[in-house]
Amino acid sequence: MAEPLLQLRGITKQFPGVLALDGVDFALTAGEVHALVGENGAGKSTLIKIISGVHQPDAGRIDYLGAPATFPTPRAAADRGIAVIYQEIALFGDLSVLENLYVGAYLRPLRTTGRRVDWARMRARAQEVVASLGVELDLGAPVHRLSAAQQQLVEIARALLRDARVIIMDEPTGPLAQPDVGRLFSLIRQLRSRGVGIVYISHRLEEIFAVADRVTVLRDGRRIITAPVAHTSRDALIHDMVGRTLDALYPKSAVKAGAPVLEVDALSKDAALADVSFVLHRGEIVGLAGLVGSGRTTLAHALFGIDPPQRGRVRLDGVDARVSHPGQARELGIAYIPEERQRQGLVLPFPVGENLSLAILRRLSRLGFVDHAREAAVARDFVRRLDIRTPGINVPAAALSGGNQQKVVVGKWLAAQPRVLIMDEPTRGVDVGAKAEIHRLMSELAGRGLGILLISSELPELLGMSDRILVMHRGRITGELRRDEATQEKIMTLATGVA
Amino acid sequence: MRIRLLWRERVLIGLLVGSGVLLALLSDVFFTPANLLRATRYAAEIGLVALPMTMIIISRGIDLSVASNMALSAMTMGLLWQRGVPVWPAAALGIAAGTLAGWLNGWVIARVRVPAIVVTLATLAVYRGVATGLSGGTGILGFPDSFLALGAGTVAGVPIQTIIWIAGIAAGAVFLTRTAVGRYIYGIGHNETALRFSGIDVDRIVLGLYTASGFVSALAGMIYAARVGTAKSNAAAGYELTVITAVVLGGTSLTGGEGTILGTMLGVLIITILQNGLTLARVPAAVQDVLIGTVLVGAVLTYRERAGRKEVFVIAPPQPELHHVGGRVLTDPGNDLAVGEERRNP
Amino acid sequence: MMMRWGRELTILAALALLSGYLSLTQPNFRDAFTLSTILTNAAYVGVVGIGMTMVIVAGQIDISVGSMLAVCALIAGTLARAGAPMFLVVLTSLALGLGMGALNGALIAYLRIPSIIVTLATLTALRGAIVWWTKGYWVMPLPPGWKFLGTTHILGLPLPVWIGWAAVLAAAYVLAHTIIGREVYALGSNPQAARLAGIDTARVTFWVFAVSGLLVGLATMLHVTRFSMVQTQEGLGLEFLVITAVVVGGTNIFGGSGTVVGTYLGVLLLTVTSSALTFLGISATWDQAIRGAFILVAVTADIVRTGRWRQPVRWAR
Repeated sequence: MAEPLLQLRGITKQFPGVLALDGVDFALTAGEVHALVGENGAGKSTLIKIISGVHQPDAGRIDYLGAPATFPTPRAAADRGIAVIYQEIALFGDLSVLENLYVGAYLRPLRTTGRRVDWARMRARAQEVVASLGVELDLGAPVHRLSAAQQQLVEIARALLRDARVIIMDEPTGPLAQPDVGRLFSLIRQLRSRGVGIVYISHRLEEIFAVADRVTVLRDGRRIITAPVAHTSRDALIHDMVGRTLDALYPKSAVKAGAPVLEVDALSKDAALADVSFVLHRGEIVGLAGLVGSGRTTLAHALFGIDPPQRGRVRLDGVDARVSHPGQARELGIAYIPEERQRQGLVLPFPVGENLSLAILRRLSRLGFVDHAREAAVARDFVRRLDIRTPGINVPAAALSGGNQQKVVVGKWLAAQPRVLIMDEPTRGVDVGAKAEIHRLMSELAGRGLGILLISSELPELLGMSDRILVMHRGRITGELRRDEATQEKIMTLATGVA
Repeated sequence: MRIRLLWRERVLIGLLVGSGVLLALLSDVFFTPANLLRATRYAAEIGLVALPMTMIIISRGIDLSVASNMALSAMTMGLLWQRGVPVWPAAALGIAAGTLAGWLNGWVIARVRVPAIVVTLATLAVYRGVATGLSGGTGILGFPDSFLALGAGTVAGVPIQTIIWIAGIAAGAVFLTRTAVGRYIYGIGHNETALRFSGIDVDRIVLGLYTASGFVSALAGMIYAARVGTAKSNAAAGYELTVITAVVLGGTSLTGGEGTILGTMLGVLIITILQNGLTLARVPAAVQDVLIGTVLVGAVLTYRERAGRKEVFVIAPPQPELHHVGGRVLTDPGNDLAVGEERRNP
Repeated sequence: MMMRWGRELTILAALALLSGYLSLTQPNFRDAFTLSTILTNAAYVGVVGIGMTMVIVAGQIDISVGSMLAVCALIAGTLARAGAPMFLVVLTSLALGLGMGALNGALIAYLRIPSIIVTLATLTALRGAIVWWTKGYWVMPLPPGWKFLGTTHILGLPLPVWIGWAAVLAAAYVLAHTIIGREVYALGSNPQAARLAGIDTARVTFWVFAVSGLLVGLATMLHVTRFSMVQTQEGLGLEFLVITAVVVGGTNIFGGSGTVVGTYLGVLLLTVTSSALTFLGISATWDQAIRGAFILVAVTADIVRTGRWRQPVRWAR
């Protein structure tokens, strides 16, 4: 193998109370896509933070471009050609694309006369780079008008303008819709052919087999294995990540669908929702597929009263229901597990117990005064039933892993005893083990007669868990597929509006 | 009920006792009943306004218009009385005006969704300006003794406003620690969105908080007018800074989610005792303002240093690694209790 | 182009309408003296407005400008009375402004205390210090050289008007076309991203406040050298006037966008409105209430227009 671009040997990093990295080796060759996988807390983020100069290792050595190197600050790493494309896109919404490409430290080398900004030269070089990527970008447009995929392009172009040798991508497909993922992958292959080394981090194992050359698995701060992707398998990776073999994913048991619990008739909202009608039965899991922006979350928000619809009818167990506020939805028996767990689902500094009781605190109160004993009893009950791994109900939710946090959100809504459960991307960013548990829980809840509406961008999850799949495109339901007839291809055809 | 004190409340009690002893040694006037009575009368005004302010800051808001509101409602009362309305109905109408002003703040903040700091910065000018405009630049004097008793009277030797304040502290503390809405207020300060997604009517709570702030400010405005015997448009000028300083000194975090009524009470006592002592030492009011500003800045810095160290374990949302770190660290039972209860004092 | 300068054109139209109406109905409004007064008032407010635009674009706020102006004015006046030459007086005013702005900036940028708290504290403390020091007496009489700056005319317009215009144009250039200028916008638009991009955000914040103070020092000289005494209540309520003008001029109250030309036009509009109120016979005791209402309406309209609801304001953190 060729001389590595970047080589880390025996990297150790200690945080108060925990050994985040324990003698980790990692090498990246020019023109290679090297995937980094592991459960939450395995040490991936710490490792990329050390490469990008956010953290300093306590022990170990870094060689970069064939010589020992240290990156005392993110700026130092960036100046030497190490670029990070974060999950949360770090751009300036008010500024133009052109300015976003250069802003900050990267403006300075380009200045000509004194401290004046040389717009003409900046534009010429930017056009060159954008053209070389074979994409179109309006350099004058303010960034807040761009789509998530276009914003990611801006980040990639920015990295190239800085002559990046190493690009680290942290869950880059998170905000992307399916066709954009394909485009991103071809862009990654193009970067690879230019000799850029790419560190690719993702929870979605399919992507790793689609785009990576090698894969390194981390677990509990240690490197478990590094192998060419061709020599490993999905099951082997999962085994290395969790340290045990998981039972089959998607344990959907067949449940006989009962009476209709939720009937939606011609729901409309501006251009975002157009005449959406469907029926959800007791014991049924209905999948809701569609690209980002197709109206899935808008529909969920409309049903839950966060953004009430303008027209249309909703009936619960055959009775007309008007939902104009989430509080009403809760009282009517509709629960919603939101898309953004940490922002919408949890009060992170609140103890686990107080998060679990948040939606039903009024019911646990008398004359407005909280019955703390009953509250604790309810919280303990859900910690046990959902197997939430926490040292206690007084521990802040922030201290839990992503999967356990998600279980707290689920528990909060099960406590409200809903008839209809809407789950929006319930396993996004959740590690493999917790994912399987959430799927098992869904199956069990449906078995007990709950109607579940499952929104997911992960097609295997939709196919594995749903009794029926509704596909949305531009605010409309463009098709319905039974469990036995649904395939990824059929869903994508309906979701892209080709049919 | 067992009272558990936070570390900073213990520090504040120490500070309070320390400065009291120091002032008693430095001035023979300080520790006299007459002076302490005068000091508590002033403390009650600051302390009353500080109660809803504590809750508002916990909810991650702020109300800069409180002092202007005190002047506006006192002026309303004075003008009505001057035009022949009996003094107590006039006071009730003044309080109604102040409550309405608070409600207006809350309405623009909760319904139109303009940031609280912008709204109340503007209404700080508007309410004071309307008071000035209404007064035409002159004060109103000569209120009947029955009204002046509100500012100068005592019951069993305790000033009337102090009794009102103590009642307010008790009610505020119980409300904030024992009720569902009190819990929601902390939640709004930490993560308003999550509260909305949990089916809680955040807007109504926010509206209620600013309305309550208007009501209490107006009440304090009446007490102020009764204490100084005049309704004037420049009443209580600069009080907003003193109130906010006391609340922050008491440990309420400007970034929301943290704070206690007990802490605020201690903050108010320390600030007012300091001001009183400095006045006795003939330190000009202007220099006192500088000192209060310094205390505020110092308090913000000290508390952040302390919180900053804890943050590594607890509140670092977008970093999955650290959650995991927290999960392990927190197996120490003493530690996780401390974290859970840092926020609130039962 | 129309889109980009839309706000400026709207204000110009409003200005034209208001001035046209006043010229037709109020004969006194038409004379050269009124015009000159309006422009001179706009000059000093506009210079303070440049600093405030930078501060707000950077995502912060400075409500201490009025008190800083009073401090500069009183010390400059005292110095002039003690016989100091005018250039020294001007330099002192600039240095004082820079120093006070730097103090604000250091507390906000390096000690990371919310700017609303810091400047509320300096607003109160400086005003208190003035009252204590002057005991409410005005600084007068001032030596004959004092009014040199304010009474010199070039092409029929007072020197301060020209200085104000020069400052606005220079600031517009710096903010639009220099690295430090663009960094101010980047900082206000997304501070986390700015830090990741290697911008020294604390340094930019510090300098924004320091320069804002310096401009207050300059504005002081443009303002008080027109009169033969310095009053203690100089600059009272100036912060509201300036913040209103900045917002009316199209600067986003949440930071990230705005222009000094817009601010200057906003100042002109407010100045003309305020003289309109005088012409229409509305008592000066209502000034503060009207200014406060103006800012509330302007910000609210802006938030409704841009749809940036419930976005957190950074200067409160």
